[in-house]
Amino acid sequence: MTQENPVTASPPQAQLRSPDVVMRLERLGCAHQCRLSFMRVLLRRMQREGWTFDRPVFDIDAKGVGVAVYCAHGPDRTYSLVAFGHDLPAEQRSDRVIAHAWDSTFTLFDGVPAREDIVRLSRNVPKQEAGRVSARELSVSRANRSVRMFEHAVSRLAAGAQPDIAVVEDVGYLMRTTAVYGSGKLGAADREAWGERPEFAGSFQPEMLSVYLTRAYTLDLVEHLARCRAPETAVAIEPHLRRRFGVGNSTGLGLAPYIINHPALFNNWIAARETALARVRALPSASAGEAAHFRTMLARARRNAAEWRSEHPVQVRKLAELTADLDRLTAHADGGALDGGNPWDRLYRWAEDNLSVEGQEQLVSLVLEPYGALVDGLAECMGADEARHFTIDGAVALTRLRAIAERVYAFALNVDWAAREANARVWYVSEEKLEPRLGERFDEPLAAYEQPLQPGRDAVRMLADIEAWQGENSVAAFLLRHPEHRHTARRIQIADRLAYAEIRDNTISADLLPIDLLRVKLAFFGANRFDPRSDRWLRINMFQDAPFPHELATSPVDDWSYPPPPEVLQ
Amino acid sequence: MIFSLNEVEAMGRRAARGAGLNWGHAEEAGKAARWIAAHGLPGAELLAELLSRNEGLSHHDVAPAATDGIWQAPGGRLCPLITGAALSDRAGEIASGHAFELGATSFPLLLAPYAAAIARATGTAVELTWEGARLVVTPKGGLAAEGDGVAARDAERVTCRGANSPSAAAPAGIAHPDVDGSAWQRLVAFAQITYAPATESSRLAGAGAGITDND
Repeated sequence: MTQENPVTASPPQAQLRSPDVVMRLERLGCAHQCRLSFMRVLLRRMQREGWTFDRPVFDIDAKGVGVAVYCAHGPDRTYSLVAFGHDLPAEQRSDRVIAHAWDSTFTLFDGVPAREDIVRLSRNVPKQEAGRVSARELSVSRANRSVRMFEHAVSRLAAGAQPDIAVVEDVGYLMRTTAVYGSGKLGAADREAWGERPEFAGSFQPEMLSVYLTRAYTLDLVEHLARCRAPETAVAIEPHLRRRFGVGNSTGLGLAPYIINHPALFNNWIAARETALARVRALPSASAGEAAHFRTMLARARRNAAEWRSEHPVQVRKLAELTADLDRLTAHADGGALDGGNPWDRLYRWAEDNLSVEGQEQLVSLVLEPYGALVDGLAECMGADEARHFTIDGAVALTRLRAIAERVYAFALNVDWAAREANARVWYVSEEKLEPRLGERFDEPLAAYEQPLQPGRDAVRMLADIEAWQGENSVAAFLLRHPEHRHTARRIQIADRLAYAEIRDNTISADLLPIDLLRVKLAFFGANRFDPRSDRWLRINMFQDAPFPHELATSPVDDWSYPPPPEVLQ
Repeated sequence: MIFSLNEVEAMGRRAARGAGLNWGHAEEAGKAARWIAAHGLPGAELLAELLSRNEGLSHHDVAPAATDGIWQAPGGRLCPLITGAALSDRAGEIASGHAFELGATSFPLLLAPYAAAIARATGTAVELTWEGARLVVTPKGGLAAEGDGVAARDAERVTCRGANSPSAAAPAGIAHPDVDGSAWQRLVAFAQITYAPATESSRLAGAGAGITDND
């Protein structure tokens, strides 16, 4: 068994859901965080291993300008968030990637930074894309204050009062990150440099650690600014209310191509979750404790849905469906659905007939909750070495390549690619910010700049050329004369080995919602409260309700990712 | 200038695409520049020189016309990126003992990453020889290189075949290569060709802004 093949792991499992079901955009766009989400994996590991935290530097003035260092000490190594606070004029505050100044900027340092490291970083990190970091840094990021929340919190605390719970619940965070760069970006360490470290097993662990420490910084910062403003009267935020603050994140299109460009990695994320679901569905019965655990998490998921705010019409509809679904699910569970044999498999089948896709995917996350011992280990399979799958096998018969393509891209064979609606969009990279963008093929002169992010259409084009091919029946011979299909042939061979590698939908159609691509990635990160601000721009909250670093050792394990039951908050 | 390997690969991919290679070859070109740079050799620099030399030539001009006998490019010199990919597609033949002979080839060191992919895929070490150089790459990505022509601009004859693993092969040891500034700027210029010029409407619509992002 290889690391990248969790599907063959040992506990009994029901049949995996078909990629033809799972990999549709509508369903990917309904993904919810679950036990395998990267934030939860990180906090579980740090709790299990007894990580400790300190803040050796907090040199920040009354305007929020200065530097702070937050250290996370693991069993073998220490990582430090170096945070720079800035005095940003309000008119320069923008979440968009074209911004060039931010309220705070950050880097995750490998070790504990010396004074000269901080000096070097202070000249580069505040400039973000215009600066350079080194192999000692694992990530670079920035955040802006929430205009609605930040000043409200500072002024209330300065006056000796707590922030208004209604405002806290409406916004959910003090600051929003607008990009977190890792893996060699801006000169930072490549993933290969740290990918084998056990503390980073899985996916996106340095980035999640950076965001986790950033959250602590944002709370410390408002309390510090309140004390500076009114040392006589200022108070700290009451601990239960403090937990209700996450870190916001504003994500635009730049993230969307990632899951298409990393097919092996994306497969491993989905395969781990689907394997977890299949293991739970195979359980012959649920104990009273397991059933009670599920019902508790279901109640907390209902509260999450009730607190989830969005004004986007698509999400408003989904939220209404989710709320109704969770009511129906609760009644069904209360009516004895978890008694008797194969309860989880029966419950999932019932959901297929009775719940919306949003509700079905919420259920997939919820049924994993009582079964940490059964499913949490799958998180170790969620990293990937894309290079292992990169080399084309040219000895394969062309007829075999065609058969695979016809299976994986069956959806695309039914699309009329000559129709404007099917072919409406172009993925391209803008000269201005070197960021992925989505344009209108028939309105703008963009086709010449098209990125290879429409695997379905490209597979159909390849199949047409295979149809006309008169040469030797091998992939090698075909690609020597048709090099334009080399990218597609590689994808097809990957998708043959890795069932969930490919999105089985049209990624350039007129009705594409890019937020579907963003949501599935962010759900795997562990985000919640998805709030589309347009069809291609999503706001989320991260680490809301999680214990802070100083609370981690004494907090219940992995019990934060849905809001607490109402009685805890009182 | 110091770059991460990820940056070398990404720039190599974009530059190769900008220079007219198809996406599949461009992806492999980025990995090739990275592989060579990680071994302390001028991967980004050779790629920049190759793309400049072949500017304006078509795939047909620099790809092998046939893969029986000695591989020759109709336009003169084989492109090592296209040729390397074609060799890699015949990995099984190389591992089972077949030797491929190439005629005149540009920047033959750029073939080495493709030989490394063959070695990795088949578990057999692969040897490349040309005038003044002999390279062996191992299944684990090690490189043993000898001769003063390793970074040559041209080879008149190259042989690619399976080999015994060398007693000493250097692993990829460079984490952040130092890339020649003018070569990097040439790659940047090629990459630039792949970027769509911004218009006011694309600036607003393309990224999806429209309602306030500052609340």
